[in-house]
Amino acid sequence: MTTGIRNYSTFLWRCGRVAFCGDWRYYLWIGLLFIVCLLGLNAYAKQLVHGLVVTGMSDEVSWGVYIANFTFLVGVAAAAVMMVIPVYIYNNEELHDLVIFGELLAVAAILMCLAFVMVDLGRPDRFWHLIPGIGQFNFPASMLSWDVIVLNGYLLLNVHICGYLLYCRYQRKMPSRWFYVPFVFIAIVWAISIHTVTAFLYVGLGGRPFWNSSIVGPRFLASAFSAGPALMILAIQIVRRVTATVPLSEVTRRLGGGTVNHQAMVKRGATLEDLQLLARHLPEFATVPPQTLQPLLPSLTILEVSRGDILLHQGETDAVAFFVLKGRVVVEREESGRCRVTRSAGPGDQFGEVSALHGTPRAGTAIAQEPTQVLRVPSDALRRLMKSPALNRIVRARMAERLMITDRALMTLRGIVQVSMLINVFLLLNEVFKEFYSGNLHVASSKYLFLGLHGHNALVPWIWIAIVFNLAAMVLLVLPVSRSLRWLNLTCVLCIVGIWIEKGMGLVVPGFIPTPLGDIVEYMPTLNETLICFGIWAFGLLCYTVFLRMAVPILQGELTKAGEGKPEASAAPA
Amino acid sequence: MNDAAKKRLVLVGLSVGCLALAGAFLLDLWGRPVSLEPILPVDPIFTNTATVRVSGAELVRTGGDASGLDCYTCHDKQKRIVLHFDAQQNIILSDAHKDLTMGHGRHNRNNHCFNCHDETNLELLQTRDGRELKLLESSPLCGSCHGPTLRDWEAGAHGRKNGFWSAAAGPFQRQNCVSCHDPHAPKFPPQQPAPRPHPLRPGGVKADESAKAH
Amino acid sequence: MTEPSTPLRQPLDAPMNRRNFLRSTAALTAGFAGLAASLAPLRELKDFTSVDEFMQKYYKELTPAEMARVLKRIEDQVQREYGLRPHVRDLKPLDGVEFVYCLNLTRCIGCRKCVHACVAENNLSRNPEIQYIRVLRMPHGSIDMEKAEHNYSPASVPEKGYFYMPVQCQQCQNPPCVKVCPVHATWQEKDGITVIDYDWCIGCRYCEAACPYWARRFNFTKPTVPKDQLNPEMAYLGNRPRRQGVMEKCHFCIQRTRAGRYPACLEVCPTGARKFGNILDPNSEVSYILRSKRVFIQLKEELGTVPRFFYYFDV
Repeated sequence: MTTGIRNYSTFLWRCGRVAFCGDWRYYLWIGLLFIVCLLGLNAYAKQLVHGLVVTGMSDEVSWGVYIANFTFLVGVAAAAVMMVIPVYIYNNEELHDLVIFGELLAVAAILMCLAFVMVDLGRPDRFWHLIPGIGQFNFPASMLSWDVIVLNGYLLLNVHICGYLLYCRYQRKMPSRWFYVPFVFIAIVWAISIHTVTAFLYVGLGGRPFWNSSIVGPRFLASAFSAGPALMILAIQIVRRVTATVPLSEVTRRLGGGTVNHQAMVKRGATLEDLQLLARHLPEFATVPPQTLQPLLPSLTILEVSRGDILLHQGETDAVAFFVLKGRVVVEREESGRCRVTRSAGPGDQFGEVSALHGTPRAGTAIAQEPTQVLRVPSDALRRLMKSPALNRIVRARMAERLMITDRALMTLRGIVQVSMLINVFLLLNEVFKEFYSGNLHVASSKYLFLGLHGHNALVPWIWIAIVFNLAAMVLLVLPVSRSLRWLNLTCVLCIVGIWIEKGMGLVVPGFIPTPLGDIVEYMPTLNETLICFGIWAFGLLCYTVFLRMAVPILQGELTKAGEGKPEASAAPA
Repeated sequence: MNDAAKKRLVLVGLSVGCLALAGAFLLDLWGRPVSLEPILPVDPIFTNTATVRVSGAELVRTGGDASGLDCYTCHDKQKRIVLHFDAQQNIILSDAHKDLTMGHGRHNRNNHCFNCHDETNLELLQTRDGRELKLLESSPLCGSCHGPTLRDWEAGAHGRKNGFWSAAAGPFQRQNCVSCHDPHAPKFPPQQPAPRPHPLRPGGVKADESAKAH
Repeated sequence: MTEPSTPLRQPLDAPMNRRNFLRSTAALTAGFAGLAASLAPLRELKDFTSVDEFMQKYYKELTPAEMARVLKRIEDQVQREYGLRPHVRDLKPLDGVEFVYCLNLTRCIGCRKCVHACVAENNLSRNPEIQYIRVLRMPHGSIDMEKAEHNYSPASVPEKGYFYMPVQCQQCQNPPCVKVCPVHATWQEKDGITVIDYDWCIGCRYCEAACPYWARRFNFTKPTVPKDQLNPEMAYLGNRPRRQGVMEKCHFCIQRTRAGRYPACLEVCPTGARKFGNILDPNSEVSYILRSKRVFIQLKEELGTVPRFFYYFDV
């Protein structure tokens, strides 16, 4: 128990340290986000002192850009499941590595949601009145109390799932399915529910005909499932970009002088001692019975390579897998002129097994980082070894342990955005038809939003921008042109901006205009209010950046329990 | 520039940025709440609970100048009063009564003084069914024509009723008809409205409405 | 830092050397300075929530002794701020009483005196202006809110071709505001008045969004009441001064009506268009009106809120 706690705190401590390390770009980005956070905090301090009078809100329009952002971000958080569903229900391999990115985005989005709710409160000091048990919790009557439960529940679920999976990956342990798969499925249902509940916040208000429409819930989900994955497409590419370094040639040049040096490798037959060494690092290997091992021995070879030597090349096909006995091998994948570590293999770890078992081309290039000894296992020998169930399980589990960010994963997400966007636009048109064709008295809010009412038309340009963006995004998505990343990125931006306007400002504000008594007072966020929003967004991005900063090396296998204490010892004096 | 130098530069830049920002925060350079537009205090006439006119009974009760109620300081008790009408059947008031506006009922059908006043005793009122009432107890007289209104008034549903709704807690005051209605021109007089609301944010004016109004 | 012979990848959490450490410390210090300075506006935070107020229990959970302490705290607070000792009571609903309001649209002339009597009685903020009653001017032949004018200001009222409709809290039997409040800070009492515990409200304004009658008001900043105009006769659930950041609304002048008096808006109405009373008493004027009049409007009846506020016409 105490060792467990000690291990876990070491893990957190190391993650925390990683969060403070990075290159100058990382420092610049984090620093700028921090500065924007400060601007927001300062603006919030002013709001605390003077009250919500420093916002543009009024009794006429009593919710504004805070709640608009809240609504949008609940959708982003909910959309994390659109990464999870293909992986866990349809066993999509491409998205597998990215699930954690999606869930971390959900965590960051929920944190932003909670912050937006907090800044919207008139009496944040009385927040404890909302806590069940010590406060007074109007459950189940108030939809807001439902929201408190589902948002915090969703936060816990995602923190648990990501935290558990990352901690297991850090420890190089196989996650126990019971510890996370049930939660994954709960989270899927839960994600739908957080957004439905948020829609019900509005739908349940009979006195606001603009919101009191049963289509709002489905519209929320459709827009969330297009904006969320669109945001993921952009975020993933950014991760791919910033985790990628210089081209491969540059890497090898820096490592060992640049030449691929097969001759320098020492090659010899494997002995039982070598296998025992492997079994020390990979206890499951010891479960292979000697009668299986003995006949295989001649086909196994030991390679001793020096720093910078390349063990396999991206794009080749050859049916050989490797286990590291000593040293460290890093698998670098090159895409569009840059390369990124997909896996960092230390003693006991495998690499090259995916191509060996599946016969697919090599996904990356394996380069020794230091003088390294590896066990070379041909695929049929590997298959024979994997007849041992324990070894089979660990090898198969670790096959997934690589950080692949492929274009095909992005295309899977594109498919999700495409379908959701079509549904979203369809539902929007449904709503517009119902409002304007029936033309009853309740059309006033829609009229205000789309056409302007009695000379008031602050939102009209915005909503038309949103509609143009949404339609453009929809057209681009159905055209094959959005298969190219540049167009896809443009589409995603259109999608996100369009939905932010349509669902945030375009949903919250017109619900209040005209007031139930027919008065028209417009809403425009103030500078202070806008700074608070920017501050919260910066805070969310800061959280997400830090989460990724910690998660990426763990996913790559660079930050592991095995490495504890090592960096300090091997630190190069600068 | 190598990475270390860039990092140094970034850190220095961020430190300077943070300190500059700290200075700006301390000087409170932006985002001060705009001070609210002053709103004039409301004239106390708009919170005054007095009735719109002072009835004779009220005048007597409060010891005001009730001389206007003494008919026989001017009129001769013995002399019969003759009313004069013009060609349109409008009553011609004597100069002493020029302060009265005659406007009870439509089409001048109720412009005959002795519909209500007793021509034999000016200090009394008479109903159409022949009852005689004191000058200061006019409500039944009004009710002799306005029956349903009198019924509502008696139930507290017409006119003002102030004080306590709960008889257990205290008394209520009911106002007489003439506290609000001038018997000679009973239509409730127009009032100056109290100031319009001053919303926190500008707005509330419907552009096309105001265009229509002008 | 990356020289050709050193590893390309620095260890992730390599310790810093002294120069780097100092530099980072300087940056961190600047960051903290910025953080501290960003909170500078809090210097102006004048009225801190007292510990008593912060820890105060929910209205319905207060024992009589605790309530007495709370009332004393409020009286002290008002005295400190306004230099006047108020009389704050916690008036409970009366047995056998359910309040109903009837408003005769034939009689209302739109003079807005009710609005300002209410402001004076209930210690409503003068600037920013909070008013519980909004008088609508409607063209004859319609009760379409779209056609309502709030800002009419002719030389005299009534104007030809219009009628006037004052709207305030309708004290619904099925109040949407109560349903949506996440913390039970607003509830319906058994005499039909929907009240707010100003010391419990968290200021989320969900009730304001839920109210179909636009009857709720939020204290966007600290309310201001001139010292000489403070009404010292106060109730806990009624007209005691509110804090910044909480909701308030018409409570049928709880400090008056639970003491048997008529509400202030009724007292000031020059035409007697406003009628108030106990619907459970068959002899009350509201019972009489609901029994004998014919045309009633319960505003937005289709929403199922079942208001206790009846608009009617006679003649």
